[in-house]
Order: sequence, then structure tokens, then C-alpha cells
Amino acid sequence: MSQTPVNPPAQERRKLVIKPLSKGDKWFFRSTSIAAHFAFVLVALILGFLLWKSWPVIQGQGFDFVFGSTWDADSDPMVLQLGPMLWGSLLIAIVGIIIATPMALSMAYLIVFMLPNRLARIATTLVDLLAALPSVVLGLWGLLVFTPVASHWAEVLNSYLGWIPIFGVADAENGFMRSPFIAGWIVAVMIVPIITSVTREIFSQLDRDLINGALALGGSRLSTFRRVIMPTSSGGVIGGVLLGLGRAIGETVAIFYVLNLSFDINWGALLEPQGGAVASWILARFGEANGAEKDGLMAAGLVLFVVTLIINYIANVIVNRAQPWRKN
Amino acid sequence: MSFSERPTVQPWRKANLKRRFEILLAVAIPLPLTMLFALLSNFDVNLALIAVFLPLQLIAAGLVGVRAYGKRGIGDAALVVITIFFSTFVLVLLLSVLFSVIVEGGRAISWQFFSQNNVYVSPTTSLEYGGVGHAILGTLMVVGLTTLAAVPLGIAMAVYLTQSQSKTRNLVRTFTQALSGLPSVVSGLFILTIIEATQMGRSGFTGALALFPLMLPTVARVAEEALRLVPVDLRYAALALGAPNYRAFFQVILPAAKSGLMTALLLGLARVVGETAPLILTMNPSSATSLNPFDGGMTTLPIYIYNYLASSYQTSQARAWGAALVLLMLVGFLFGLARILSKSKTTKKKASK
Repeated sequence: MSQTPVNPPAQERRKLVIKPLSKGDKWFFRSTSIAAHFAFVLVALILGFLLWKSWPVIQGQGFDFVFGSTWDADSDPMVLQLGPMLWGSLLIAIVGIIIATPMALSMAYLIVFMLPNRLARIATTLVDLLAALPSVVLGLWGLLVFTPVASHWAEVLNSYLGWIPIFGVADAENGFMRSPFIAGWIVAVMIVPIITSVTREIFSQLDRDLINGALALGGSRLSTFRRVIMPTSSGGVIGGVLLGLGRAIGETVAIFYVLNLSFDINWGALLEPQGGAVASWILARFGEANGAEKDGLMAAGLVLFVVTLIINYIANVIVNRAQPWRKN
Repeated sequence: MSFSERPTVQPWRKANLKRRFEILLAVAIPLPLTMLFALLSNFDVNLALIAVFLPLQLIAAGLVGVRAYGKRGIGDAALVVITIFFSTFVLVLLLSVLFSVIVEGGRAISWQFFSQNNVYVSPTTSLEYGGVGHAILGTLMVVGLTTLAAVPLGIAMAVYLTQSQSKTRNLVRTFTQALSGLPSVVSGLFILTIIEATQMGRSGFTGALALFPLMLPTVARVAEEALRLVPVDLRYAALALGAPNYRAFFQVILPAAKSGLMTALLLGLARVVGETAPLILTMNPSSATSLNPFDGGMTTLPIYIYNYLASSYQTSQARAWGAALVLLMLVGFLFGLARILSKSKTTKKKASK
């Protein structure tokens, strides 16, 4: 009796190697390759040009350029130190992320697990629309519409939670405007769609059997979310949050309108009407700066670029690792 | 037996009439109750929403959950309520932006707001004179110039990432992703250094240069996704029939991915059309209409908004709102077009299945 194999082992799909054979092909691949490597050239050019321009300032100011807290272009020698602005950028980004993350996670959960298909598509479109809002329009809205509302929120926060240092203010008469709190909200509006779209993609690729299994074992939506969904997708969510952080730190125009830029360093009094943001500072000083101060702004841009480059690199590594299905 | 005493929980069953009534009550009661409370006690409405409405709604939903599913109903209710609460918040923020731009912008907009330029306009000139015509033209020209360079290059990058089998693909992808996080103001500074190094004058062209590093990664990323959606068998079939790679690309893959690549173009446009900071650094704003992007001043819609928002005159702010509405219409138009194109692709796919 001859035995026929019941289940022949499935053959692995053969990986085809594509080689350029004709002359046209060689040109085709060569030109696309040149185009692709332009990405390196562009990053190198940006770094190179900014470094070249800002080298004298960096050399002159040393490490104090990053950590010091005075910006005085009129003194001799010039003191250009970026500390408060850098810290302010970070502070606003953190506030923005704390506000945006719960909203983005809820939105993603709603779209993937709760809404019927048609509504989910509408919600996705709305979130994408939010992502497409130009930052100058958000700045306009933030200054003329949102600031009055948010300053009221800030007032309420201060009157009930003022004993917590981050919600305290020195002078309650100043109206609670132009504070890191408000800038953080504006930034949050910008990064909600970023975190939502990353999270949504990761949620939608989760193993449905795993979730249904957890529900069948008697888990509630909440426990399933905490014990099944979050552990498997937290990597990607963190990546999305970092992408949002990168965007928040680089945000310029909208913050410029709603924040009072000040070199009195504000360590964490969120409702105080003073704060900092590197990108907005560049924009604010640019018109009046000349000569060496301009080079100082270039150096600020360089610092900003390097910081966002590092954050984005880490974020993308995390996101790519959390989305193995996107590998080719 | 203890089993028989437990309530029979059947989550898969549709809610019956009684349950639906309970759900309706749980949805309908807390909000009016909160409003009533806020009204009677002079409590702050914003605070009441968080401190009164949310707990009330949680309790109401939790009660329904317990009655329907027993203890696990609490967790269900809590997550549903919190999710909907936060999502509504996002929606309210978005609608607030859209609503205020449309209402405030609608007041400023009229026919000549589109057609006239800004030459004889001072901050106190009434809204019947002057408009954003020059800024619309400027936006189109600057963004158009950027598109001419960024789209072919971005698509070529995407082709490299999907069609070739080189080893540096991952590195290229990493760098492209890193570029997509480039702060827009840094891109402006970069072009500024080049302007100063080469002594060229500021014009629409330099503005277009500053937008280029911002548009390129968006186009490359979306185009890569689009090319990836084309089944690889199509390509192998073309190659097996003896087509060289470039003809396989231009005659098989490109037509198949056409709508996806259009989406890449449109999303790239939407990405840069609202950019402000790099243009402020690299362009000379002008209030006259200029048709030459290579020489002299030029204004785009975001710069127009930026300049008018800086002044506190009522009419200036109205102009800023009007320009914001025009800009939003432009973005919405591009965006809608991208939606329609990418949608027709998916429906076609479904039809072919």
C-alpha cells in the first residue's frame, strides 16, 4: 500500500530576484536610486548649512547656549542662551501629550471597536481633516476663539487646584492668557490626529480572536482593553505619542500667537502667562535680528532639528517594530 | 446547584425592549440633570461637565450594565462612557475650529475678496475694498513650483523603495521618515542660509525651495503605500513576458497605482499649502499681484493671515478670518479630491473580487 502524503508541506513562496538586464533598466534603477539617496543628501545639507552658519555662535557660547537662560543681543559680548525656550518647548509638548493621548486613544478605540463601518469611515475622515488644518488657522482660532474659553478653564483650575504648584499663579489678576497651558491645548489639537492614526492602524491589525476570546471568558470591555489590547499595542502607541512629541516641539506659528515668550524660565507653572518655544522664538526674533544674533537663531534651529531628528528616529523605529505587517 | 442561581448572561442577544428603554434613560437623564444642577447652584458649566456629568453618566451606564450583564457590565459601561466622552471632545474642538472659520470668514468674504489684491489697503480700510486674489495666485504658484520638483522625486523614491531590491532601502526609508518630522521653521532657516550664501533675492522661488523638504517625505510615503498596494504578481507577469523593468513599471504598475499616486500628490499639496513659518523666513511679502515667482515679492494665503492677525484692528482680523476660510476651502478641496480618488480605488477592488 502506497502512502500518499495527506498534507504536503506548503511550499514557501519563492523570492524572485530582479536584476536589471537591459540598458534602459539600468538607467531606470540608477535614476530612482539617485532620487532615493537624495534623502541623505537633504538631511546632510540641512545639517551642514545650519552648522556652518551657527558654528561661531556655538563656539562662542559653548554649552551655555543650550543650558543658560539669557538672550541679550545688545550686550558686548553677546549672550545668546536658549535654555528657557528649549525647556518651554518640552513643557508645552508634555502638556499637549497628556491632553492628547486619552483623546486619541478613545478616538481610535471608538473607530476600530465600537462604530459601525460607515460611521467609522466618517470619523476617520474627520480625524484626517483635523490633521490637515493649517497651523496658522489653528493659531487664528487659538488666539481669537479658544484663548478666552481656555483662560476660563485655567481660572477654574486655579481656583480649585491652585494649591498644587503646577496650577498656582503669582498674580491671579493677569487673566490666565498666553500660558503654556493654552499652548499645550493648541498643540494637543494638532497631535491628536497623529496619535489617533497610528493607534487606529495598530488596533485594527490586532488579532480579533484574542479579543473575542477575552470577552468570551467573561472579560468586560474595560478589562479586555487593559489586559489584552493595551499590552499588545502599547509599543505602537508609544511610538505614535513620540511622533506627536516631535511635531509638538517643532510647532511654530500657532504657539507664537497664544504664548507669551519669556526668558524668565518657567519650570512648570502651567497657568503663568510666560513660557517658551524654540521655533516660535526663531520666528519672533527673526525680523529684528541681524548679524550674529541671526546666526544664534540658526543655532537654535540646529538644536531644534537635532532634537526632533532624534525623537522622530526613535518614534519611527518603535512604530515600525510594532507594525511587522508593513515589512516588505 | 450554584450554577442555576446565576443570572443567565447572553451578551450576544439583542437588547430587548425593556433594556433599550433603560439604555435610553441612562443616555437621556444625566445631561439635563447636570444642566439643571449647574443652573440652580450657579456652578461653573465647564466644571459641572467634568465633576457632575461624567460621574453621573458613569453611574447611570454602570447601573444599566449591571442589570444587563452582571458585574462585567460595569467595565463595559465605564469604557464606553469614557471613550465617547473624550471622542466627543475631539469632535467639539474640530467643529469649533471649522464653525468659527466659516462663520467669521463668511462675513469677510465676497466676490471682490477673491479677485482684488491688497495694494491700497490700510488696516482701517473697510472690507469692501481689497482681497486675497494676489495671495491665492501666490499660493498656487509657490506650491505649484514645489510640486513640480517634489512629486517626481518623491515618486521616484517610492519606486526605489518598492521596485528595487537594493540593500539601502531600509536606510532610505528611515531617513525619509526622519525628514517627515522636520520642523517647518528649520526648513525655512536652511533655505535662508542658502539665500545668504548665494546672494540671491527673496522671491516666490525661494519660498518654494523652503517648502520642498516638507513636501518630499509626505509624497514619498503615500506613494510608497500606493505602489505597495499593486499586486506583485502583476509585475512578475510583466517581467515573465519579457518586459524590462522600466516598461513593467510604466505600463503595468503605474496605471494600476494611478489613483494612489494622485492621492500622494494631493496629500503632499495639503501638507504644504498651509505652511507659514518657512515662507515668512524666505519670502518678501507684497500686497500687489505678482505673476513672476522668480523675482520680487509675493504673498501666500498663510502669510496674509499671519500679517493681518498681528494687528488688532477689527477689519484686519476679519480679513484674516476671510483668508483662513479661503485657505480651508483650498485644503478641503484637495483633501476631498484625495478622498474620492482613494475611495474609487477601493470600490474597484471590491468589484473585481
